[in-house]
Amino acid sequence: MYIQSAYAVSPQGSFNELLENPAQYRGDRLTCKEPDYSKYIDPKLIRRMSRIIKMGAAAAMECLQQAKVTMPDAITTGTAYGCLADTDQFLTRMVEFKEELLSPTAFIQSTHNTVGAQIALMLKCHHYNNTYVHRGSSFEAALMDAMGLIGEEAAQTVLVGGVDEIIEKSHAILSRFDLYKKEGSTETLIGGGTKGTMAGEGAAFFLLNGNREEGSLAKLDAVQNWYKPTVPVATLIEDFLKRNRVAAGSIDLLITGNNGDARYGGQYEALQQSVFKGIPSVTYKQFCGEYPTASAFALWMAAHILGTGQVPGVEGPAPKRILIYNNYKQQYPSLYLLSAC
Amino acid sequence: MENKQELIHRLKEQIIKQLKLENKRPEDIGDHDPLFVDGLGLDSIDALELIVLLQQEYNIKLRSAEEGQDVFRSIDTMADYILEHSA
Repeated sequence: MYIQSAYAVSPQGSFNELLENPAQYRGDRLTCKEPDYSKYIDPKLIRRMSRIIKMGAAAAMECLQQAKVTMPDAITTGTAYGCLADTDQFLTRMVEFKEELLSPTAFIQSTHNTVGAQIALMLKCHHYNNTYVHRGSSFEAALMDAMGLIGEEAAQTVLVGGVDEIIEKSHAILSRFDLYKKEGSTETLIGGGTKGTMAGEGAAFFLLNGNREEGSLAKLDAVQNWYKPTVPVATLIEDFLKRNRVAAGSIDLLITGNNGDARYGGQYEALQQSVFKGIPSVTYKQFCGEYPTASAFALWMAAHILGTGQVPGVEGPAPKRILIYNNYKQQYPSLYLLSAC
Repeated sequence: MENKQELIHRLKEQIIKQLKLENKRPEDIGDHDPLFVDGLGLDSIDALELIVLLQQEYNIKLRSAEEGQDVFRSIDTMADYILEHSA
């Protein structure tokens, strides 16, 4: 199946910006560059939407516009945190007003499936719609569902996305776990040799199509993910490549999810010295930060690399085959295999 | 209790804030403009927000959902209801 179009609201303004002049961040987090939402969303609807809903809806609408598709056959969404700002507002009022006088809007929109549902409402799309909340494999679950629908011919086109946001409270709580660098910099995030990473957020949507259409960005050959696997990750990767009849040497580019945390970077480096040895590689979390659905940003980046033939920060021939390897919190390894089409 | 005109102005400010009508100012909302559909364009979720606003700001609980249809017809009818039911 094919990635017909892909769009991300992320800390980078666009793929062109990523190629020419990637946005750099300092501190402990990266924040999304948000588009002019009035281009995508009715102003009457915007007022009620929290930031993550606007980001998701805008990414989905732009993705559909680029594909010139008005009605997908299904919508699947992955999110670990859901609509945090609405959840925060609802719970805060619940405490402040002693469980009375609660705002219905924040309550209604605090559910994890609000982004997927809002997209369906805007499109008047009554087709299959599912949201996956599986921590570090939420996006992978949404993508696998989309691929299954297309594979079984239950759908021809599926809009699939991964969304997660940072809010002040969640960031403060996560910071207590010593996850982030105190004075990080995206310029030195990877390979800096210090513990911690930088937090990130984003909304990336893709239109998957069972057929190759004019303007399709890439062919999505295979996706697989695991949770706390009992066998070494290197073995999983070797089996994945063997199953898909791909020799490691035929991969032109490896995109890894190394997030710059020196406590875990060694695991990525060890794989690059073994199963990935000799494969040119780049990282992506210096562009989007670390979050549970960050692999959606990697897929967006890979699709555009194959679509344009250009790799951010790298000169050379256009890659024809890309492998993405992410391992969120060293518990959720996932692999994506893509090729040019 | 403030006079009706002062109440109407304050009510408009509270509605703009509660319903996040960010591109509206109090003077943009006519006292007799319908709040729903054609006028301000509010919907059923906004109606729930208005019920919460009445309770939170004026300690007034609507007796029934049907009553809301008359109370929330316009800012003017809301102000009358508040004046009538304020202690």
